[in-house]
Order: sequence, then C-alpha cells, then structure tokens
Amino acid sequence: MRFPGAPERRASDGTAPNRRAPARRAPARRADLVGLRARAFAHAVRRAPGRYLVGASLMGLVAWGTALLVDRGVRWVDAYPLIGTIADAALQRSVEAFVTVLVLAVAFSVLTTAITTLYTAADLPLLLAWPLPAERVFRLKVFETYLASAALPALLTLPVLVGLGTARGAPWSYYPQATLAVLALYALPVTAGSLLALLLMRLAPAGRVKEVATAASVLLAAGLVVGLRALRPEQLAELTPEEFEAFLAGFASLNLGASPATWAGDAIWNGLSGAVSPALPLLAVAAWGSLVALGRVAAWAYQVGWVRSLDGSSRPHDPRPRPAAWWERPLARWGGGGAVVVKDLRLLMRDPTQWSQLLVLVALAGVYLVSTASLEVEGQRFRDALGTLNVAFLGFLLAGVGVRLAFPVVSLEGEGLWFLRTGPIGATAVLGAKFAYAMPPLLLLGLGLGFAQAMLLDVSVNLASASIVAGGLAAIAVTGLGVGLGAAYPRYDATQAAEVPVSPGGLLYMTLALLYAAGLTLLLAYPAWTTLVDPALPVWSTPAGQVTGALAVAWTAAFAGGALAFGRWRFVHYESGRD
Amino acid sequence: MIEVDGLVKRYGAQLAVAGVDLRVRPGEVVALLGPNGAGKSTTIRAITGLLRPTAGRVLVCGHDVVRAPLAAKARLGYVPDRPYLYPKLTARELLRFIGRLRGVEDGDRRADAWLEAFALAPVANELIETYSHGMRQKLTFAAALLAEPAALVVDEPMVGLDPRAARQVRDLMRGHADRGHTVLLTTHAMDVAEALADRVVVMHRGRVAAQGAMAELRASAGTGEDDLEAIFLRLTEEATEGPPPWGPSAVDGAGPSGGRVRPDGRERGG
Repeated sequence: MRFPGAPERRASDGTAPNRRAPARRAPARRADLVGLRARAFAHAVRRAPGRYLVGASLMGLVAWGTALLVDRGVRWVDAYPLIGTIADAALQRSVEAFVTVLVLAVAFSVLTTAITTLYTAADLPLLLAWPLPAERVFRLKVFETYLASAALPALLTLPVLVGLGTARGAPWSYYPQATLAVLALYALPVTAGSLLALLLMRLAPAGRVKEVATAASVLLAAGLVVGLRALRPEQLAELTPEEFEAFLAGFASLNLGASPATWAGDAIWNGLSGAVSPALPLLAVAAWGSLVALGRVAAWAYQVGWVRSLDGSSRPHDPRPRPAAWWERPLARWGGGGAVVVKDLRLLMRDPTQWSQLLVLVALAGVYLVSTASLEVEGQRFRDALGTLNVAFLGFLLAGVGVRLAFPVVSLEGEGLWFLRTGPIGATAVLGAKFAYAMPPLLLLGLGLGFAQAMLLDVSVNLASASIVAGGLAAIAVTGLGVGLGAAYPRYDATQAAEVPVSPGGLLYMTLALLYAAGLTLLLAYPAWTTLVDPALPVWSTPAGQVTGALAVAWTAAFAGGALAFGRWRFVHYESGRD
Repeated sequence: MIEVDGLVKRYGAQLAVAGVDLRVRPGEVVALLGPNGAGKSTTIRAITGLLRPTAGRVLVCGHDVVRAPLAAKARLGYVPDRPYLYPKLTARELLRFIGRLRGVEDGDRRADAWLEAFALAPVANELIETYSHGMRQKLTFAAALLAEPAALVVDEPMVGLDPRAARQVRDLMRGHADRGHTVLLTTHAMDVAEALADRVVVMHRGRVAAQGAMAELRASAGTGEDDLEAIFLRLTEEATEGPPPWGPSAVDGAGPSGGRVRPDGRERGG
C-alpha cells in the first residue's frame, strides 16, 4: 500500500521508476463552508424525513393562518368607514411598527446568540485550524447567527406581508421586493450584535469574557424592554373616540425618520403598487455594507478574541474539601431525582446563558405589573372585564415564558446525557426532576401575576380567585408541556437554551400551549361571566362552579400529563450515540 | 457477569452488529478488539443501555438491560470513549452527583479517596472546564468506580492518559477484576489488551471473528509465535478477504478444529 504523497519505491533492478511530471496543483478552490452546512442539513432531512415533514407542515399551517388573518384584517380596515380615508397610511405605519418590534426582538437575543455561535461553537477549533482566513470562518458564523436569531422573525414577517399583498392585489414583483426588504432589514441587528460580540471578546477581561458579554446582553435586553415600556401604550385606553381618531390621523402621518424600519416599510408599501422605492436599494446597500465592514473588523479581532475566550481564570486553587451546601441536603433525600435537580441548579447558577433567561423573565414580569398598575378604570364592572382579559392573557404569557424556561431543560443535558442513560435512574425520575426544576419559577410567576393583577385591578373576589387559579394551573400545564415535549423532541446538540425551541418540537409546544391557554380562558369564562352579571353571586360554591373548576383541573392534567407521558415514552426509546 | 446473547443491531438498512454472543465472568478482564466499524462501540452501547438491541438480549449480573434497566445499570460502571463531564461543575460536585445518583453511602469520603488516588485532590474544587483531557479521563474513571460496580465497561481506556496514569488505570482494572468483578474493555492498543486481558474477543463486520485466551487465538490463527497485533491483523484480514482457514462459518463462531466456539471461548464438540 502506498499512501498519497509517499515516495515511490525503486524498481527491483535498481532503476528509478518512470517519473512523470509532478502533478500540477489544482487551482485552490474556495472551501464552500455554507455548502457543507447545506449538505449536512440535507443528510439530516434524508435521515428523518418524517420529522422535517411534520415540522414543515406545521410551519406552513401557521404561515397560511397568519397570511389569511392579515388578508381578512386588511380588507376589514379598508372597509371601515371611520378610518377608511387614512387606512392606507395607518396600515403603512402598522407595518413599520410591526417590523420595528421584530427588529427589536432580534436585537434582544442576538448578542447572546452571536457569542455562542462566534466563540463557543464546537466546530470552531477545526475550522480555525484549517488553512482558511479567520475572516471567512467569521462570515460563516455570522450567517449562522443570522439564521439562529433572525430566521424565525423573518418567517413570521413574510406571511404577514403575503397577507397584505393578497388583500391589496399586489403585482408579483411585490413579493420578491418585500422578501428582500425583510431579509436586509434583519441583517442589520445581526451585524450590530456580531460587532458588539467582537468588541466584547476583544476587550473584556480574559477568563470572564463570556460572563461580561452575557451581562451586556442582558442589560441591552432590559434596556429595550424599559424603552418599549416608556412609550406608555396604556394612554390609548384613556382617549375619547374623537381623540382616538385624531391619534390615528397623527399616527398615519407620523414620520419615524430615516431608520431602516421605515425604509423597509417604504419599500414594502411602494412594492404593493408595483413601484420600486429608492429605500429598497438603500436598505440592501446598508445591510451589505455593514456586513463588509464587519468582515474588515473581524480580520483584526476575531481570532484573537476567540483565543481570549479560551483563557481560564488564574486564581490559586483551594484544595480543602467542601461539604454539600445547605440547600442541597433536603433535595439529596430524593435520591437520583434530587441529584439531578441539584446538578441543574448548580449549572444554572454558573452558566450565563441560563441565568440570564431568568433576569429577562424578571424584567418582563416587572413591565407586566407596572403596565397593569397604570391602568385606571372606573367602575367595578369595567375592572372585572379587564380582569377577565388579563386572566386570558396570563395563560398566553406563561406559554411564551415556558418556551424558554421549561422546553429546553431536557435538551440542556446535552452530551452529559450519558450519565443519566447509563445510571440507575428511570425516565420517570428524570422527567420528574426536570419538572421539579422548571416549575418553581413558572409557578411563582403564574401565582404572583395572578394575585398581583387581581390586587392591582381590584377585581371581584370570584375573578380574583379565578385569576390565581388560572396562574397556578397554567404554570403546571406549561411546565408539563415544556418538559414533556422537550423530552420528546430534544436538541442535545444545542449550545444554549434559546436555540432549543427553534425546532418542529418547539412549534408543537407553542401550538399546544396556546391551545391550552385558549381552552382555559373558555372554561374560566363562566366565573368571569357570572361576575360581570353580578359580582355578588357565588361561583365556586355552586355545582356549576365546581364542575368548571374540575374541568379546568382536568384540562390542565390532560395537557401536562399527556405531554409528560409522551415525553417519557420518547425518552425511554431515545438512542444515544447513533453514529 | 455480562452476558450477551445473539445481539443484533440495525440502523435502518445497515447491520452494525450481526448476532454477537459474549460472556464476561466475574474475576475476568475481557478485551474487545476489532478494526474501526467492527461493531465494538455498538455492542458496548447496547450493554450500557445507550442503544436498544434490534434482537438478542444483554444481561448484567442476571438483569436484562432492556427489561430491568435500573437493576442492570445499578451494577454497571461505564467509561465512554469520549467522556463528556459537565464543564461547569467541579470534580467534587460531579462525584457527589454520581454518588447520589447511584445511592452510594458515604459518597463524599469515597469521592475524596478517588480524587487522592488520581492526584486530582488539589484541583477538586476547580471547574472541570479547566481540566486537561487526561484529568477528565481520570475523573471519568473515578466516577465509574465510585459505586464499586460489579461490571465495569471501558471504551478506549488509555486515550489521553500519561504513562503514569495509564499504568494506574491498567492496575486499577486488573485489581477490580481480582476483587471478583467483571471488566470488559475495548481498545486499539494491543499491548494493553495483551498485558491485561484474560480473554480477547475479536470482532469484525459486526460479528465475533474469534475469541479465547491468547494461546487459543494463536492456535486459531495458526501462528504460534505471533503477538496479538499480528494475530489481530491476520484474523481481520482473513475475514475481509474471504473465508478463514478453519471454514466459512468461523465468523459465526466456528473453532479452529471445526467445532463451535462457545460464548465463553471454549470449543464445543469437534
């Protein structure tokens, strides 16, 4: 056997072998990194086509529903006499506001995603060891960051724009224009986040780079939340019909200034009538230019920052034996399940990508409470009506929080899953431990918000109890759905919690969680309706009230228990290391 | 005791393990050898419960890994070839986690003893993410042995270990077997297998190509003087190129004299 490149042996008679002209070196081809990723994805689809088919079908269904809803909504607005004359401008502002919110949502998560993708991805040691310029590896990673943080908002935006186009009978040229505008628009926060990640990794103290970067990301996110809150949208509720009409007119003529979101809105709006707005090439050039500029910065900062991110702390070792912490001991009595909870809590406290989720949660809860407190409603009946809406909203809010807090907990085992798979701990105990780990923050949030909104709105006793019950039940259901479906559709290769729900399983969770919240709202309509008719009427002591309560508990148990049983079954049959 | 009976594992259309029979008795170290893709890791993963067999069964100390997984896994220690240890835990916290998971009494004291034994005590309070590959490998051994398992399964034990640690791990596996436990290891290091194993099982293309003590393997390969590497190359080469000298059914367990080789390595009939 002769290896490629090994010298040829001399012939047995001692003569040198026929020496052909040395092979000409083929012109160096650019390694197609994106092509490699695409091929890997195609292989993954071929390996589990059913899974991707279900995911694509679900996504298609959601997209179709969204487009239909927007189409009907736009037609309704166009036909509405009060705002018919200013419908066009109001809709344009609405589109701008919608994409602005989604751009902020991308900005909300992009820094954490950028740091994970650019600096802690498992393939980086291999890619940076190849004879490739670091700048090209960086470009690939920025593309991955774009997919991880902007793909979902883009997929949400496109059906909205399709609905708008069909309602307004837009020409075919509108659709590629709108798509280009959206893709270019979302590239801007991604480049900004990547640039910030580059600078942080270059400048933050070695050994604490990821923590500093995550803290900056959390501060940025909290700043955005506070900024949005500062707009005080509740002022709209205080307007008289005349003032509201004046507001709409003002809103329609509002000039948000030269911002990328208004450029995108302008490009989309002109596209509806078949025209090409100068804002579209401007937006595309801005996106492209920022990417090129980012590449230039990366050539200077990327590889050095990556090396710094690998540096550890240099503090002296303390070898003294440390006993278990006081809070571990009660959990340790639970055996294997308790051990998993203790381990998960320790990892939560030390992993910035995990604890930062809790800070964002606290910020959201704070904004929610402040918003509720600022609502000034006269009359018990109106307060109860608003309280009823809030009960409905609570379920939806918890469903959204659960996708970040409960759904990823099984996947976060990652490659450490082998400890659980080869250890004497059953699937029931593992899922029980994950449920016990994820539920306290959600239960605290559900009960806390349920109680706080009842107090802040000063609703009737019946509705206050319904609000607290709704918060508690929704927390249990959302935790069960998240842990169960997260175990059924795990992503053990995800590098952080935020990545895990970006999957068909995450979509299924959101669909079922919203279905649960809608069902719970319908069930709790009975006490709400009774309260609205007469706040003094008893609810929970009547047979109808008790049946309602039992149905709400059964509805919760069906969703939580069903998802956990399905997740347990899938977890038992999951095979590690199928390579 | 580890018993593998007629283990078959398919990945879709691909047959990874095609009917493997294997016994590892108490007090015995068995080395599972084979070229890349022979089915060793799949066999190991089926024994540890990471994969479910398509057919056949695996018993650990008499407990079926699929039907009674908790009882089987309670008696099993495992060192994977690429051990992942939670990087944000310290070594002491990881061993405490394992001790609780496995219900080890006096787990902290035993963890300290293992940390001392592997010279990890000075860094026991440091995060595992700061450890070298060799330190992680030693910690994985400590985690596997913490509960003194009746059956120890080790996938590529020497990867990343310095000579002193490698020697320590060899002695440790031998000592574990000498205390009446079972040790099954896979390795590509022939010297390790030769020095440590009471019996060697050679797998090729998902089947057991040969098994037995070194003398039996030499006899089966027809090369009385060869070392294990030469025997291994000869066995796997023959299995690749065509039927081995003792008959076409050898890959199914036929012995050198034409009789069936029993799962324990001894020949049956003649």
